[in-house]
Amino acid sequence: MKFIAVIPILFALGSLPAWADALQQPRAPGIESKGYVWNKPNKEQIFALKHKADPVKGKAAYRVCQGCHKPDASGRGDADYPQLAGQHTTVLIKQLVDVRAGKRDNPKMHPFVGEWAVTTEEISDIAAYLNSLPIPTTNSKGDGKHLDRGFAVYEKSCADCHGDAGEGYGDKFYPMVASQHYAYLLYESLQIREGTRRNANPKMVRIIKKYSDEDLQAVADYMSRLPPPVGKLAPATVADPGKK
Amino acid sequence: MLNLSAKILAMGIGLALALSAAQAQVKGDATKAKALVDTVCIACHGADGNGPVPMFPRLAGQSAEYLLKQMQDFKNNKRPGEIMAPNVANLSADDMANLALFFAGQKAVPAPVGDPTLVTRGKKLFDDGNAASGVPACSGCHGANGEGSSLYPRVAAQHVEYTIDQIKQFASGKRKNDKRLMQAVATRMSEDETRAVAQYLASLP
Repeated sequence: MKFIAVIPILFALGSLPAWADALQQPRAPGIESKGYVWNKPNKEQIFALKHKADPVKGKAAYRVCQGCHKPDASGRGDADYPQLAGQHTTVLIKQLVDVRAGKRDNPKMHPFVGEWAVTTEEISDIAAYLNSLPIPTTNSKGDGKHLDRGFAVYEKSCADCHGDAGEGYGDKFYPMVASQHYAYLLYESLQIREGTRRNANPKMVRIIKKYSDEDLQAVADYMSRLPPPVGKLAPATVADPGKK
Repeated sequence: MLNLSAKILAMGIGLALALSAAQAQVKGDATKAKALVDTVCIACHGADGNGPVPMFPRLAGQSAEYLLKQMQDFKNNKRPGEIMAPNVANLSADDMANLALFFAGQKAVPAPVGDPTLVTRGKKLFDDGNAASGVPACSGCHGANGEGSSLYPRVAAQHVEYTIDQIKQFASGKRKNDKRLMQAVATRMSEDETRAVAQYLASLP
């Protein structure tokens, strides 16, 4: 009698943790670790960066992403889901693999970027597909009240790497920040400042440390309003340039 | 160094092959399935895959790839199926392919909606997901109208009870033949969301 009662308990103890662990994001060494080099690609990133990407395959593989990032890759302004359309392929590959490897903490996203969800080739394909998409300017913006301050911060501390127009620099893994969601830009800026974005560029951490919350709100607002690079604007938004 | 890259390459190729195998078109003859349908499947799934029993899934219009994989998984104990396992035990590979094609070729009929007041809420979750809890829009994978694809099952016109039961099985880890995606999603869904989305799915053609 006693024995029989114990069986289900053993079963639960033995099976559930293993199953739950499988769904957890691993933790790889990041900015807190000795010898950390923020932009040194791991083996998988090297493979994905060299892979001859196929945007058509990327579109099919993107299916598992679009439930959150939307079919047009515009993300969600009401939460922290970035706009991905038009982003540099190198940036996308780095971030996808960093989340997969646990170098960028994102337990919410991790199940959808694990090796069970997408292959390394597909990561490369998805990046090429997203890069080819036109950029909607329907992204969320700030309150627009401190754009002068945002401009000043941007010119002083951001433009050297992210470009005068927020276009980023793919070769160096610097993301495009133009037309990105305000909420996402602010959230990530704060994470980088606090050291909790574990795959950040330490140089950026040093630079951003001296800025207040209000500074970061202002610069996030400014970046969210930078128009996409020429030729990358989504056609649907051309007709409605005044839309916020 | 070389060894590692070679390993990664081999891993990549292996995954790509596995995936292309999963996506491979089902080859068979739907007309040869009729005898089996009328003797084995009909009691639970109906003659045309629009079975009336709420706990047993509607199969009409389901993708043949998905149907074949589920039969294989039941047979290989990769999906728990106290009822299905004995029924597929004696099926040959050809039988399963023929059955998959037969049910894929049937027209789905919307299932009974028990609580119409939940349909709107269910549609919202299906179309938008829940950003706060990290539930993706169901439509992302299962299609704008729940029609599915060769990789993701059709969920439209499904019985309410069956949908709820499967989401709960994914959440508890009882069912895990899904590349972990639905397991992750299901653990994030509330009881209310599960019930609401099930009602919405039943209402879809």
